[in-house]
Amino acid sequence: MSAVNPAFLDELEAYGENAGALCFNCGTCAAVCPLDGGHFPRKMIRYAQIGAVDRIREESRELWRCLHCGLCTQTCPRGANPGEVILTLKRLFAAEWRKS
Amino acid sequence: MYEPKDIIAILANNVRKTMSPFGIPKSMVNGWWKEESLPRNGETLLVTGLMYQLVPFIETATTWLARYEDAKWAEYLPYSRFVPPRLSGLGLAMITPAEAKRKAAGHLKNIVKAMRASGRRFGYQPELDEYSGILLYDLGDQEGFVRHAKRVAARLKGAGVTSIVTVDPHTTYALKVLYPKYADASFEVRAYFEDLNLSGAHAGETLSIHDPCFYGRYLELSGASRKALGNLGYACADARRSGLFTSCCGGPAESISPKLASRIGAKRVEALGGSGERIVTMCPICLHNLEKAGADVTDLSTVLAGGLKTA
Repeated sequence: MSAVNPAFLDELEAYGENAGALCFNCGTCAAVCPLDGGHFPRKMIRYAQIGAVDRIREESRELWRCLHCGLCTQTCPRGANPGEVILTLKRLFAAEWRKS
Repeated sequence: MYEPKDIIAILANNVRKTMSPFGIPKSMVNGWWKEESLPRNGETLLVTGLMYQLVPFIETATTWLARYEDAKWAEYLPYSRFVPPRLSGLGLAMITPAEAKRKAAGHLKNIVKAMRASGRRFGYQPELDEYSGILLYDLGDQEGFVRHAKRVAARLKGAGVTSIVTVDPHTTYALKVLYPKYADASFEVRAYFEDLNLSGAHAGETLSIHDPCFYGRYLELSGASRKALGNLGYACADARRSGLFTSCCGGPAESISPKLASRIGAKRVEALGGSGERIVTMCPICLHNLEKAGADVTDLSTVLAGGLKTA
């Protein structure tokens, strides 16, 4: 069981411009991602949308496999900027590490 | 894969203390200009961002990282923070082959050669040429990146710099897009190949272009490099994914997972190699990672400078 936080996307805005709410989970980003395998970055964006922070934290290493190449953002039919959502999540955790 | 937290901590500490991600003294990184008789002042300042110069050290560092990735020894990486950055940087510099450093310097000399042949007037002040901090940005260390960007921007602004010519996509993106946004510093920034005015006759040779993500997609400069090559008489073949839809070389993953970087690089080489033409790119990271994946890749600067011989 994982707790959800519907306000999480709003909280993320402190770490970057975030259009994650626009995502309708079509999976184009995961299909074009050079990492090809699994559901990255779609899964992370879905977790962010529902505020499943525990899940993101558990799988946070995955965020740093992202090449920041921007192909997902270029091809996103919703303009949800998946690459920026991933970068914003990285910033969130990096900021937490700095504080710790 | 290494723990991102450990890698970020090391890189951020190095940048904060030495302005360099590897802690290598700048005098050991940036010496290519000494034989070039470059003017200090010009309408535009050449800023390399030290990316080409750092690649030989990246090669050495990632070779070692690859050796211990996922091994038990990787757990001890956090303890490296107790080693002073300049000491570890000096060590890295000592074990990096001189030939790799000469090769990197050669690319910059070729860029200067092409710009001079184009009549481009520019100055170079090595003391103002600093690493942009782009890796910290990519890794999500926003605080570290902004602090560093402000230091670099303050030096440039303090010297009265308004116009900059760059040589690699990462530095170009940082100075053109990120510095105005995060470091309150706006410069007129142009990639060196945007304003070249060269001519030659290389009809018959077709080049397979690998667009770096930052040039092809983020900065939309694919047309400029093709135009420069076209003016020299080269024809350019596009890979299946090119321009706005170019595919990554894998290089950005090197610091966290050399294995992943190699896997992505091998896929890209396979896609580029289909035409059998000479592969050309214009990014030191792409160049290094595609070469590592087994491709015979030529830097754009080599092609441009080589083309001048018969121009």
